[in-house]
Amino acid sequence: MGGLIGLIPLPYPDAVVALGAALLGITAGVVGCLAVLSQRSLVGDALAHSALPGVAVAFIATGAKDPAALLAGAACAGLVGAVLIVGIERGTRLPPDAAIGVVLSVFFSLGIVLLTHLAHDAGAEQAGLERYLFGQAAGLLERDVQVMAVLAAVALAVVAAGLRPITALLFDRGFAAVSGLPVRVLELLVTALLVVAIVIGLRTVGAILMVAMLIAPCAAARQLTDRMPVLLVLAGLTGAVVGVVGALAAARGQAPAGPVIVLVASAAVALAVLGAPGRGVLWTARRTVRARRRQRAEGVLVDLETAMHAGAPPTAAELAAVSGRPPAQVRGGLADLAGSGRARADADGRWRLTETGAAAAHAALESRTLWAAWLEHGAHLGLPDAREPDPRDVRGSLGDVAADRLMALAGGGRR
Amino acid sequence: MTPASDIPALSVRHLSVAYGVRPALWDVDAAFPRGAMSAVVGPNGSGKSTLLKAALGLVAAESGHVLVMGRPLREARRDVAYVPQRDTVDWDFPITVREVVEMGRHPRRGWFRRLTGEDREHVDAALERVGMRGLAGRQIGRLSGGQRQRAFVARALAQRADLLVLDEPFAGIDARTEAALLEVLTDLRDAGTSVVMVHHDLQTVRDVVDHALLLNVRVIAEGPPAEVLAPENLRRAYGEVAGVAGAPAWAV
Repeated sequence: MGGLIGLIPLPYPDAVVALGAALLGITAGVVGCLAVLSQRSLVGDALAHSALPGVAVAFIATGAKDPAALLAGAACAGLVGAVLIVGIERGTRLPPDAAIGVVLSVFFSLGIVLLTHLAHDAGAEQAGLERYLFGQAAGLLERDVQVMAVLAAVALAVVAAGLRPITALLFDRGFAAVSGLPVRVLELLVTALLVVAIVIGLRTVGAILMVAMLIAPCAAARQLTDRMPVLLVLAGLTGAVVGVVGALAAARGQAPAGPVIVLVASAAVALAVLGAPGRGVLWTARRTVRARRRQRAEGVLVDLETAMHAGAPPTAAELAAVSGRPPAQVRGGLADLAGSGRARADADGRWRLTETGAAAAHAALESRTLWAAWLEHGAHLGLPDAREPDPRDVRGSLGDVAADRLMALAGGGRR
Repeated sequence: MTPASDIPALSVRHLSVAYGVRPALWDVDAAFPRGAMSAVVGPNGSGKSTLLKAALGLVAAESGHVLVMGRPLREARRDVAYVPQRDTVDWDFPITVREVVEMGRHPRRGWFRRLTGEDREHVDAALERVGMRGLAGRQIGRLSGGQRQRAFVARALAQRADLLVLDEPFAGIDARTEAALLEVLTDLRDAGTSVVMVHHDLQTVRDVVDHALLLNVRVIAEGPPAEVLAPENLRRAYGEVAGVAGAPAWAV
């Protein structure tokens, strides 16, 4: 451990803090995914709050600040909290969220009372209370980090070894149970892993905000991948980076580490939610705007084609009148069509289709016919596989053979 | 008939299940024959899904016992493939179609072993059979309802189980998928697999099923669909309300 700390290009106390925060971040990130995916992240919150009285009792019992004893106390109390949540869910008519709320508040209150009592007795221990509430990065010792490293290694090894059964359980509990997996044992294992992650993070992040370190890395990583193994790795990395940056910043600024780490984590989530390639909010918004614009242009294109068949090339106002579209929409659509060379206006403001525009209008009409035909006759098309067409490009997504058959089913060349 | 084929694929005896004080199933006896396609039918709330779940140990029974191919469920788990109702799983889960189907190989291969080339062949064949090979790399949430059901059935196919249990496989899916999956199930049955499903469309049951169980908390009738779905039985299961409506839904 000492050697590893020596490798980190930071002053010794900072290196210890950085290593501890990285361990906490990796474990919370990976294990947090299991909680988030099973839709039980609030259980993590309750467990973190439940750990508090455990710390106090361990302190009273051992009378010393041996980190292993305090963490063991936290773990025991967390597990008791977990058992109580399940017991309340099963034994009463309270819904799960109420069971979580009850356990969280009772244990947290007990923890506060015990720690306050301890602080009064021991005077100098006042800082200890706040540390377990809001976390503290400074003052992390090498022996603390050693304990954290062992716990993190065990937790990560268990997740890696049990990945397949755990995935089956989280995705489809019924299937897992029928397949003979011991689902109750696995659920207990996932809860135990949560407790371990919480215990590792308790001192640095604090009981109140620990849940954020379970949720945030998973939320950020989920924006970047659709694969479970990749998700776990990305969440672990995110947790580690967020933990190290936050802990070091907090140590510099003499601030409690928990809130700083959580703010850094939230920034990572915000970044991923907004900007993740392909599915961030910004990308989705841009895609929606483009799709609407495309649809508007295509609608006006078809309207223009129909109007030109009916008589003289129309003005924008005439086109709006015959098509029933708001004039602003028609003008916007015509501008887009003009921009892409599919339509142009005469000097007197009369619009007509260009050659490309006419071809595009025919394609759009065919696609509409094909889509309508799919809805009506798709079941009788006899497609060899489970393909389903993209309404905007039926021919492209189904292939020419199927599209021609659809046209035939729809009654030949009907436009 | 050989003695082996006399042993039902799935049999339940004196099965009772209660949710709270309300009985969901009451003293149900049923035997779904081997190598046949069987359907459990009955009105909403009649305990159809509960029967399957209790038979597979997913809900606790108050009494009764279950045999799969004449053996206790515990010893026969590998021989059972289960397709749950579609709304019971999280479709946002980060998993691809292929990974879902691969999940079906692990009960046999072992959950801590890597899949072999043989497993992958079974997975490919199952995907091909339900027409999902081209969609194997998709995250399951990006599939249509029918495609999701195909993926689930593919997982069950990959298991190569002797007994296939499906809970409402055709609820809320398009006609094309229903036809395709019914064909898959019929082929399986013809190849010797026993199929038991909960189904709500009595016409399909009449047309394609070999054995039917009509349920309304207790068993109303069991046997060939033509006899089980006789008007008198349907009236007992669905009540008189349907009977006086002039052209009741079941009287097709």
